[in-house]
Amino acid sequence: MEEHHRRNQILTVIAVGIGLLFLYGAQEYATSYQIRILNNCALFVILAASYNLINGVTGQFSLEPNAFVAIGAYTSALLTLTPAEKQLSFIIEPIMWPLGVLHAPFFISLLAAGVVTAFVGFLMGFPVFRVRGDYLAIVTLGFGEVVRVVANNTQTITNGPLGLKGIAPHTNLWWSWGIAIITVFFIARLVRSSFGRAMKAVKYDETAAEAVGINAFWHKMLAFTTSAFFEGVGGGILAHLITTISPTLFTFFLTFNLLIMIVVGGLGSTTGACIAAIIVTFGGEYLRFVEEPINFWFIHIPAIPGMRMVIFSIILILMMIFARNGIMGTKEFSWNWVLNKIKPVKIFLRKKP
Amino acid sequence: MDFFTTKNLTMKFGGLVAVNDFNITLEKGEIVGLIGPNGAGKTTVFNMIAGYYPPTEGAIVFQENIIGGKKANEITKLGIARTFQNIRLFTELSVVENVMIAYHCRIHSTFIGAVLRLPLYRREEKMMYEGAMEYLREVGLDDLALEPSGSLPYGKQRRLEIARALATGPQLLLLDEPAAGMNPNETQELLQLILRLRDNHNLTIFLIEHDMKFVMQICERMKVLDYGTTIAEGTPEEIQNNERVIKAYLGEA
Repeated sequence: MEEHHRRNQILTVIAVGIGLLFLYGAQEYATSYQIRILNNCALFVILAASYNLINGVTGQFSLEPNAFVAIGAYTSALLTLTPAEKQLSFIIEPIMWPLGVLHAPFFISLLAAGVVTAFVGFLMGFPVFRVRGDYLAIVTLGFGEVVRVVANNTQTITNGPLGLKGIAPHTNLWWSWGIAIITVFFIARLVRSSFGRAMKAVKYDETAAEAVGINAFWHKMLAFTTSAFFEGVGGGILAHLITTISPTLFTFFLTFNLLIMIVVGGLGSTTGACIAAIIVTFGGEYLRFVEEPINFWFIHIPAIPGMRMVIFSIILILMMIFARNGIMGTKEFSWNWVLNKIKPVKIFLRKKP
Repeated sequence: MDFFTTKNLTMKFGGLVAVNDFNITLEKGEIVGLIGPNGAGKTTVFNMIAGYYPPTEGAIVFQENIIGGKKANEITKLGIARTFQNIRLFTELSVVENVMIAYHCRIHSTFIGAVLRLPLYRREEKMMYEGAMEYLREVGLDDLALEPSGSLPYGKQRRLEIARALATGPQLLLLDEPAAGMNPNETQELLQLILRLRDNHNLTIFLIEHDMKFVMQICERMKVLDYGTTIAEGTPEEIQNNERVIKAYLGEA
């Protein structure tokens, strides 16, 4: 059905190979600051791609990813911490029984994070998808807050506001980008399958989708649960990247960041979400200078913390006015498009005497 | 057992009785029309049959399944497909994708199988694509398969909607004003198309239409609604000469 399918697959494999070589180089030679940024990129690629599945592809505007990331982060952190470490951390009240003794390797903990989060997402889907549109946004926003408040108060499970400390720094570039590639691969394929088409149908016209036999509810659930799974795994990656987690990390601010990414990337485009995740993460680092005091000739601007967010917000406003479709719109990155762009250049070069 | 029957179908919106005691029996292979002045409750009947409104009273039986109160997607899977009065395509998606979406309810793959592109899914994807192209060929849109469906002219959008409804594999097809907004030429083409589709797919067709010439030509039998009540039924000739029908359309002299 698609032109040059085989060739494009080969090009993708080559691109991934080059990416891995680059990662190998980075792991060996880059500074720890650079590695940190690359890890953040991968993390946000995972989160944005999965958030886009429910918000962009299926068109169900929801605001809960901070909750899913929190559940994933706590699940995997509680599994990789050794029983002794957990006993030391929980100083106010001892940890609940099975959690205190459970211990698992990193990979298993990531898997568990995904499964637990997906299960929570699945249960949550039943009440949540009884409503649509603005109401859905508000209900899911509420859920995000509830999880954070629960995490703050269940002293025997999450250690409350003290958070979990001393999580082993398992996340390196291989883990983060490996999971990112798997996530994007899985989601992109899902979106391009018959199930993805059904999700788009639900987004564009739910009534018509039902008329052609699509169960809108179950397709929303599929998108939501899949999204929850990968956000949970992303949470596990996050916990083992920054090694300390507490409820304050999982405020609405995280969701807001992801929302910027998927809107900038183009709602509904998985590759757009990935590109935007990388641009926004790098942009955020690059813009750090605006939060430092600036001496420009005779003008002296004092340090303004939070200035980056102001700039991001301005960019977002400008995008909503001038480029509402984001970088990719609903289109996906395609090799055919790239090669078609290159072709005129080739012909032009050949024509030269 | 009848192919399709409704018994005392009634729909009330608050105090308003939109449809009152609607009874109809369809035989396999028939083309039956539903006409009536604006606001007579014709689309409400369709919405009840297709599962958008749960009937306030009455029963709908389709091939021994009681479908009153079932959800729209379940009813579609049982074999009743519909088109809409105001065309509802997935305008951002391509023509062939619109039809392939309708095929989705007929596949057996799981989403994991789809992501991993297991052999069953590959087969089904191929079947969906080829099947969709076949339906498009039937309605004469196969050369436009990759165009965005929103860019099609009106008449072709109507035909695409019919192709999409066919792709769900229905036995009963509900057409809500298929000829609306078409010129006489297009209407004649549509008429031929509907007759051809009925024969090729063993369809039973129940349609709402305002274009009297079209209805009289295509329908073997028809029913007339006014203010939610059935005021007449019979062959086109009988309807044309029915006093009450003329009154309902033209008002009292």
